[in-house]
Amino acid sequence: MQENQNNKIYEEQFLLLAFISVVTFKIVMLPQYFIKTASNNSYMIMAYLIAVEIMMLAIVYGIVKNGSLLEQNIPKWLKGIFALLVFSSSVIKATVLGSEGVAYIATSLYDNVSWTFVTLALLLTCVYLAQKGGKVIARSAQLFFWIIAFAMLFYLIFSNLNLELLNLMPFKISGDLAVAGDKYLIWFGDFTPLLFVSVTPSRNRGKKRLGFWTAAAVVGTLVCTVGLMVIFISTFGDAGQVIGNAFLNVSSLNRISFMIGSADLPTVLSWLVMCVIKFSLLLFAMTECAKFFFGKKAWVSVICGVIIYFIICYGIGNLKTNYDLATSWLRYFAFFAEFIVTIAAYIAMRICEKKNQNNQPSECNNADNCPAQTDQLQGEI
Amino acid sequence: MKKHSFVSKKWLVITLILIVLVTFSVLEEQKNVSTRSIVLAMSLDWKNDEYELGIQLLKTDSQDKQEFITYMSTGKHLTDILENLTHDTGGAISLCHTTVLILGNDLLTKDGEKAMRFFVQNEELCNNTMIVASKGSPLEAMSAKLSNGQGGGYYLGGVLRNMTKDLGIIPMTIKDYIKNRYRIGGCVYLPCVSVEKTGETTYLSLKESIVTDCCKSVILSETATKGLSLVLNKLKSGELSYQYDNKMGEVDIVKTSSDIKVEQDKAKLKIKAKLNDKAYIPDNIDEKRSVEVLTENITKYVEECFSICRQEGLDVFFLGQRAYAQGKDYYEQSDFLDKIKLEIQVDISMK
Repeated sequence: MQENQNNKIYEEQFLLLAFISVVTFKIVMLPQYFIKTASNNSYMIMAYLIAVEIMMLAIVYGIVKNGSLLEQNIPKWLKGIFALLVFSSSVIKATVLGSEGVAYIATSLYDNVSWTFVTLALLLTCVYLAQKGGKVIARSAQLFFWIIAFAMLFYLIFSNLNLELLNLMPFKISGDLAVAGDKYLIWFGDFTPLLFVSVTPSRNRGKKRLGFWTAAAVVGTLVCTVGLMVIFISTFGDAGQVIGNAFLNVSSLNRISFMIGSADLPTVLSWLVMCVIKFSLLLFAMTECAKFFFGKKAWVSVICGVIIYFIICYGIGNLKTNYDLATSWLRYFAFFAEFIVTIAAYIAMRICEKKNQNNQPSECNNADNCPAQTDQLQGEI
Repeated sequence: MKKHSFVSKKWLVITLILIVLVTFSVLEEQKNVSTRSIVLAMSLDWKNDEYELGIQLLKTDSQDKQEFITYMSTGKHLTDILENLTHDTGGAISLCHTTVLILGNDLLTKDGEKAMRFFVQNEELCNNTMIVASKGSPLEAMSAKLSNGQGGGYYLGGVLRNMTKDLGIIPMTIKDYIKNRYRIGGCVYLPCVSVEKTGETTYLSLKESIVTDCCKSVILSETATKGLSLVLNKLKSGELSYQYDNKMGEVDIVKTSSDIKVEQDKAKLKIKAKLNDKAYIPDNIDEKRSVEVLTENITKYVEECFSICRQEGLDVFFLGQRAYAQGKDYYEQSDFLDKIKLEIQVDISMK
């Protein structure tokens, strides 16, 4: 029961985690890669894939409002398959996206320091958060939410955008968009870690309040991904293909940068927080899946961290190798796992729910036989 | 009964945080600011198949006396040169506060843009670093000791940051440079600096521009440079002078904007200018006549700029990119620019 409590989060926290999960790694190197392949219309493919992701998150919410994936009343062997698929897709994603985060810290925040130090520091924090469970990750995200909100406000006030809409034209739907969507699939489908939390209604629940935060999360996600892509293209045009770290380069605050240097610290801070949360979520998904097979022990989380450490530092080691890995056939597997697990879990949950409903009159007369009711009672106690 | 553990959870977390902090702080490459050589300005040229890179540093002694020092090194690779300069200056070179990068004409036309790509892709320079071309040696322009005691490079950075919307030269940041290079035609326009001397006074002249596409380049005169800024910059200040019947006047620019529409064999350029007649107006001025003369002058400036660049095959107004944005493919024809007739319409309103 304690473990269940560790992964229990409120609806608003779920929305915040979903926002961070979708946005974080789509605003670093992806805009550059997209422009390289689909030129100035690449924001269209970004918009399309983000819309698909938001729809998938609605399905994830449909599952986790009844408890986490591993708590669902579905056959154990099916849970095992899901855990295996999510574990492998999370390993791929954690190494590819983690390397991107490490590369940014090692080259932009430091003077090309070794990845081994940065990965070690990052992983120690993230493994700790992953081991503590979804509740701690969500609470951390909630605490730092104001940094993200402040960074966006700071940017709105001080940025001196010189947008040239000419760079966005002509509007053209071409085959390049499909090629870009296919090539960079690994940056999409970031929702399976959220299958391992269990969403409960907020204490001060109100339909209007939840509706407001849901709308804010959807709009925020679209602004931070598609909006950023539009700003990036309007600012750099085709030159975007040589400009990495998009979130940083569109956030140079021209108006005051000459006086105090490039005042992008709020943006960097908020992105770093998002990076830690996202990385922790991926590790959390890995550890939850591993714990399904090996039991709920802390060393399982440590081993997961060690695996990722060795792959990032000694298997990948630089952005070029990371790009090759991210665009290899592995992207199909990761994408397939993310979608299949979510859809299959939802279908399995509904089938089992229906079966239970049919059997309920006879079996649920006694509260001990009805898992949902038992949980509720224990929660109240 | 409460179970006592050897180390409490709180101390474990504190230890973990300490490990993270110590790991980050021992990163050996993260040097202290005092051991860095903060570069204020840079010059870069291409000579005898080698780069000639100069940097300007500001040293302050114990009596707060400031001195601008220039270091120079040559080599085939920029990373090697930067290492040499680190050795010469005695501190790790830090380029992130560089205000201006002065480029030689040979670098702009013969290097194949390798140097600029190096700076952009390695994020060595800040996005807002200004880029200027030099008529003579860029090293000479940077190291020029001006009468106000400032180094040429540092002075240029200060001047350029204050003139973003003025009539005349258009300040270029590294961000703007790379953006223009990736447009169809790949034309880049840069302010052109030259070292001038009057008696014992040395000063930097910043009135002309250089337009280049990485192979060819032309220098635009002061008037053609004004034409360039009227078309490609949204001006908010500057003065336009005029003369007729031995009467001379001057008007202030309040606001200008321009719009270009490209067709198969012509480009329609519309310039709107809001002017203010408070600068200097001679007595008994005929306002209609003065507007006519100003219109003629603006047309002349723009035509001069366009024709000089077209002669060299430089698409300075990005007509190819504009045609592409309209979904047309005329820009693919080899004689596209030669066939274009520029129709200029100037709309002046006096405030």
